[in-house]
Amino acid sequence: MTFWNALFTNPLLIYALTAGLLASVVSGIIGSYVVVKRIVFISGSIAHSILGGIGLFIWLDRVHGITFLSPLFGALIAGVLSSLLIGWIHLFANEREDTVIAAVWSVGMAAGILFISQTPGFNVELMSFLIGNILWVTPQDLVFLLILDLFVIVTVTLLHKRFLIICYDEEQAKLQGIHVTNLYLLLLALIAISIVLLIQIVGIVLVMTLLTIPAAVSALFTNRLSMVMITAIGISALLTTGGTVLSFHLDWPTGATIALLAGATYLIAVLVPKKLAGNPPPIPTK
Amino acid sequence: MTTPAVEFKEVSFSYGSYFSFRQVSFTVNEQEFFTVVGPNGGGKSTLIKLMVGLLTPTSGSIELFGKSPSHAFNEIAYVPQTLEIDRAFPITVREIALSGRLKFLPWWGRYRQEDVEAVEEALETVRLSDFIDQPFSTLSSGQAQRALIARALASKPKLLILDEPTASVDAENAQDIYALLRKLKEELTIVLVSHDLKTAVEDATKVAVVQKGVTLLEPSQVCEHFIYGLYHTPLIQPEGH
Repeated sequence: MTFWNALFTNPLLIYALTAGLLASVVSGIIGSYVVVKRIVFISGSIAHSILGGIGLFIWLDRVHGITFLSPLFGALIAGVLSSLLIGWIHLFANEREDTVIAAVWSVGMAAGILFISQTPGFNVELMSFLIGNILWVTPQDLVFLLILDLFVIVTVTLLHKRFLIICYDEEQAKLQGIHVTNLYLLLLALIAISIVLLIQIVGIVLVMTLLTIPAAVSALFTNRLSMVMITAIGISALLTTGGTVLSFHLDWPTGATIALLAGATYLIAVLVPKKLAGNPPPIPTK
Repeated sequence: MTTPAVEFKEVSFSYGSYFSFRQVSFTVNEQEFFTVVGPNGGGKSTLIKLMVGLLTPTSGSIELFGKSPSHAFNEIAYVPQTLEIDRAFPITVREIALSGRLKFLPWWGRYRQEDVEAVEEALETVRLSDFIDQPFSTLSSGQAQRALIARALASKPKLLILDEPTASVDAENAQDIYALLRKLKEELTIVLVSHDLKTAVEDATKVAVVQKGVTLLEPSQVCEHFIYGLYHTPLIQPEGH
């Protein structure tokens, strides 16, 4: 049976493809900010600290019977809190930023592991968050993804000009009277929300693939941030759809297949001569 | 008596226990061309960042047109060195220049016709009109510096502050930038940090030498042997030496 035949008989595949497309929108938009602002390491820290929130909410569910809060909600809370903490440290504290980022990264994961160790039984749900399983996406998850998507799109539409100057020249933004602190923290919170969306598709371990590679490939061939975003959405949609189809035929894990496809795409894009792509090579910075 | 464009009143600044400046006082009047010179690491950029409000003095006060720097952002524009800017960033000359108009927009606002016109005028002034849709990454160093000056001019400032605008450009482009500043000084107050003493002093109405403090000189006092000495021996020479 081909993937396309299966698509008409198995609604799970339609949910999976829809989830991939919804995730592609935030992957393209927010991933572009992450790549051009060079905050991939910060984003990695937020992504991994999310495990703490997931572990806590699974533990509350299984051990204390508190079922009304889903692990996805725990991921959202942990992601936003860790993004605000890292952002605050970046802006105000005198601590070494890279050390604090690594600390948030590892403490978040450690908290997640601790809660999971205290949770009885083999935790299949947790494994889906860790390595992702797009085929487990439910209609409720799709609604949640859609709401978060809309929130990201509306926020970015309203604030793109300000995010652009903050990413490009933070000092100049301050001198324009722009509230850099609030906007930077909001940007990190949006990154956290996007990561929660993307872990549905590829899991925590591989989430940075979808957050960075589509935008990084796009940035190689486009010269305006808005174009980087639009192209990255397209690339991300191709990667999630292509990865899902490939994994169906090869019987590989979907998240890993998408990540491998993304890695191969990036490698090819880097090797393509930039003159062929119509874009002069970027001038080395700093 | 008119309000000075810049007024430092007994300003001290320290990084931890290391004092860059102690009790520095000076004024820059409107329509002046104020040049800041000194050796690398002497504190020129610190002085400028204090002036624009990116750093806060340890003690003393700084006023721009009678207001604190954080309340004077409508009157001033700051041009950083291109070395401080990510040259690979995906942005066009138009977007850079338009970002100089952001302070006039509400947070949700779109650029208006007057913003577009201000940008076109600024790009015309720096002779980059033909490059308006060019990616920043493809500009030469001189063009990139002029794009940053256009961003500053688009905001219609009364005070233009430039941090070593010729530091990373070739001699020909440096002369272009100085020619542009000569033209602009007819309309604006200019504070220029420069490593190019000769040209900077030629155009200046007042010179601040920054090294272990700030020494104010008239341009005529900065003679050749001071210029030579600046980069080899401690420069600060008392007036009338």
